[in-house]
Amino acid sequence: MSKGNGMMRALKCRECGRQYPLEALHVCDFDFGPLEVVYDYERIQGVMTRDLIVSRPQTMWRYRELLPVVDDPTVGFEVGFTPLIKADRLAERLGVRELWVKNDTVNYPSLSFKDRVVSVALSRSRELGFDTVACASTGNLANSVAANAAAAGLKAYVFIPADLEQGKVLNSLVYQPQVIGIQGHYDQVNRLCAEIAGKYGWAFVNVNMRPYYAEGSKSMGFEIVEQLGWRVPQHTVIPMASGSLLTKIHKSYRELSDLGLVEASGWRIHGAQAGGCSPISQAQKAGLDFFKPVKPETIAKSLAIGTPADGFYALRVMKDTGGAADDVTDDEIREGIKLLAECEGIFAETAGGVTVGVAKKLIASGKISAEDSAVLCVTGHGLKTLDAVQGCVGKAREIKPSLREFESALTGDGQLTR
Amino acid sequence: MATTSSRKRVPKKTVKKAAKKAAGQDKVERRRLWLMYPSRLIKEPVVWKLGVKFELIPNVRQASVTDELGIVCLELSGRREKLKAAVAWLEKQGIRVDPVEINVMES
Repeated sequence: MSKGNGMMRALKCRECGRQYPLEALHVCDFDFGPLEVVYDYERIQGVMTRDLIVSRPQTMWRYRELLPVVDDPTVGFEVGFTPLIKADRLAERLGVRELWVKNDTVNYPSLSFKDRVVSVALSRSRELGFDTVACASTGNLANSVAANAAAAGLKAYVFIPADLEQGKVLNSLVYQPQVIGIQGHYDQVNRLCAEIAGKYGWAFVNVNMRPYYAEGSKSMGFEIVEQLGWRVPQHTVIPMASGSLLTKIHKSYRELSDLGLVEASGWRIHGAQAGGCSPISQAQKAGLDFFKPVKPETIAKSLAIGTPADGFYALRVMKDTGGAADDVTDDEIREGIKLLAECEGIFAETAGGVTVGVAKKLIASGKISAEDSAVLCVTGHGLKTLDAVQGCVGKAREIKPSLREFESALTGDGQLTR
Repeated sequence: MATTSSRKRVPKKTVKKAAKKAAGQDKVERRRLWLMYPSRLIKEPVVWKLGVKFELIPNVRQASVTDELGIVCLELSGRREKLKAAVAWLEKQGIRVDPVEINVMES
């Protein structure tokens, strides 16, 4: 292995296994299969110990040997190591012995798990000599690229659909990247972005940098294991958009297990989708190893990918680990958001409502046994999707500035306690 | 004067064409695409039609056909305008066309 590649060995096609140099490449020239980073695990085994990890700052970079950078990271030093909350009140409501919430609603700096993948993609982009980064996004990814690129002094282009809500656009514009609104329906916008990514010599985080970008998701799994006291959870429930996060959390458990950093134990990986966009979940429930594309129609916009790129691989992980998938309606998503907020004080975006709603179903159906322990991955903050809960969380009561009126308003409901 | 008037007579189309050529816009381009077609189109020789109808060179890299869904991953080579027309035609037939990256646009 070249010393200049750090702990990475090569890029490898997930279909045919052909290997490629560690450059800004994302598909195999031969069969167009996706490329993935492979590491020199023998070398990592000789270096990476629990003591070494624990001695490092509490960020996602404490697992740097298993992340695709050669040198110290240059973007997003503070990302990760979000809280793992023991959710006793939620466990009681859902009817399971032990429940944990991995709370990426407070990830730094842009309040979603995308900060993990973006900081890896931008750090690697710098190593490869890029000074301009780009992405195409309708929300969390755009915010994260804009924020992290601003902090790192990189030039950034953010492509969005022209009809995107102003609130979402502002969350990126404030960091002053170049924001380009593209007219047309989703498929046209998607294809144009692929063309732009192919034509310009930029680091397009989820196109030519995708093999590195996707690896950042593993840090969520590493943290779960460490925060559980170096234990892989029996069940992990993960929201699915492209399906990439689910496959990478599974990879993180496998890597720690193979390296002897945790005891090899069985774990089940479960996938969660919104009913209005559930190609992977529908395929899993039907026992298929392929999915049928759908047209998304759901309030869970961050999961609204009708043709999930990693859907096939996500299905395989669930099958291999004995996991399951399910999906929930928009009303169940709102209920999930409220339940998590009421029980644990965590305000999640719609994807969090999907995860909680699906966990409830999996527990009720016995796919997650009531005697077991589970981790729910909550990936983005509720402030990003305020519209979704508008009108279903009650209203503030209005009174005149009088103590008598205050007391009569509350005693009327029997809620006043002294 | 004669020179000036003859300059005026150059058709706009010709000027545009020349400008396009100078910019290299009519050169052969390549697109890497996933096509997904419903069962009703599985018997149709779609890839052959692309070649004949749009003067494109299709090169199939992966394919999976079941009685429910046809999936073909191919590289198409040809002139830009022909490629654009071919994609529009495919969609009109009811075929889903994605770039090989599939989800460039993410949340």
